[in-house]
Amino acid sequence: MRWIRIKYTKWYNILKDGISKNNPIVVAVLGICSALAVTNRVENAIAMGLGVTFVVMASSLMISLIRNFIPAKVRMVTYMVVISTFVILFQMFLEAYFPSIAKALGAYVGLIITNCIVMGRAEAFAAKNPVKYSIIDGFASGMGYMLVLVLVASVREILAFGTFLNMNVTPDSWVNWTVMAMAPGGFFVLGLFIWGIRELIKHYETA
Amino acid sequence: MNSNLKVLIFVLIMGMITSGLILGMDVLTYERIQENELAETKSTILDAYGVSYTFSNIHDVFEENVETVEVGYEGESYTFYIDKTTQAISYEFLGNGLWGPISGIITLNSTFDTIERITVLVQQETPGLGGIVAERSFLDQFPGVKMIPELLIVKDSSPNQDNEVDSITGATGTSTAFMNLLNASYQAHKNAWDNR
Repeated sequence: MRWIRIKYTKWYNILKDGISKNNPIVVAVLGICSALAVTNRVENAIAMGLGVTFVVMASSLMISLIRNFIPAKVRMVTYMVVISTFVILFQMFLEAYFPSIAKALGAYVGLIITNCIVMGRAEAFAAKNPVKYSIIDGFASGMGYMLVLVLVASVREILAFGTFLNMNVTPDSWVNWTVMAMAPGGFFVLGLFIWGIRELIKHYETA
Repeated sequence: MNSNLKVLIFVLIMGMITSGLILGMDVLTYERIQENELAETKSTILDAYGVSYTFSNIHDVFEENVETVEVGYEGESYTFYIDKTTQAISYEFLGNGLWGPISGIITLNSTFDTIERITVLVQQETPGLGGIVAERSFLDQFPGVKMIPELLIVKDSSPNQDNEVDSITGATGTSTAFMNLLNASYQAHKNAWDNR
């Protein structure tokens, strides 16, 4: 009985929306640039996913907190300032504690600032909703992004390097698919994923 | 007017809060980031000398295998890292690329005229074009190349002389800048080295 009731709570629906029904990558097709670039290794995908999740949650929280004070004229600028602050914080954290991941992600950490997911959630949700739902919404969007990133990266890393999280998982006779480590591999796998998941959740675009 | 004032106050408060956050994080992470950069320099030098190390013992291995020499010359201080077994010499080069500073480590043989290895640590060139300057496939052309009379990064298809290296296709500006900065830092360091 309790399970049925959970299905009608607001937070459950926000969570489900972010991860499946409104998944930022698969359904809204936002944040594709970074999704293509960092998915050649699972650890990069996880770091990037966590980074985006942190930035979306933190900026949603902050914007939701001050949503009644933001003057309409400087609305967008405020979002940008808040988002860039958290991105810089995350970048410093990575450089200090995970320098190898910071190097592998390169410019893409800084580019979280321009990731449409963050800006989109700030304008579409956090600016209109109370703090607790904004945090859940940010978490859901971040997780939806990370889920796709990790799935795509798993396929690409196994095919391209024969490893998963740097552990060898393929037989010695395995021949690496170099193309999977490069940009075309990202396009193929991500395209197939978007198609597959849209079939699963029965999301069809009407012309 | 009143609403403009409100906007101004809002922007000021916003700016103070956000810059406060960034400053706080900078204070927390500054030392670790400096340490990481130092470790990266050391690992590059040890790689060039073919010494194996792990991230926990890098500082000890560095002390054991590499002699650090400071040379003051014409008011500038130059640092050389010398391999204790082969006497190969490394130093850090720094100069302007096409878009931003390029820095890294160059290793020369014991007579200070032939390149043994170059690694680029920091660059801001165009990804995919000038950015190739930091890739091993480009830098692997350098070992064995002479710095005397000067290093040339050339475009022509004629066979390379022993002081010539092929430039990066589609990145003439970066190639030229890289050549100039290597030559300039070589001259400065050679003068200091000869007068130590």
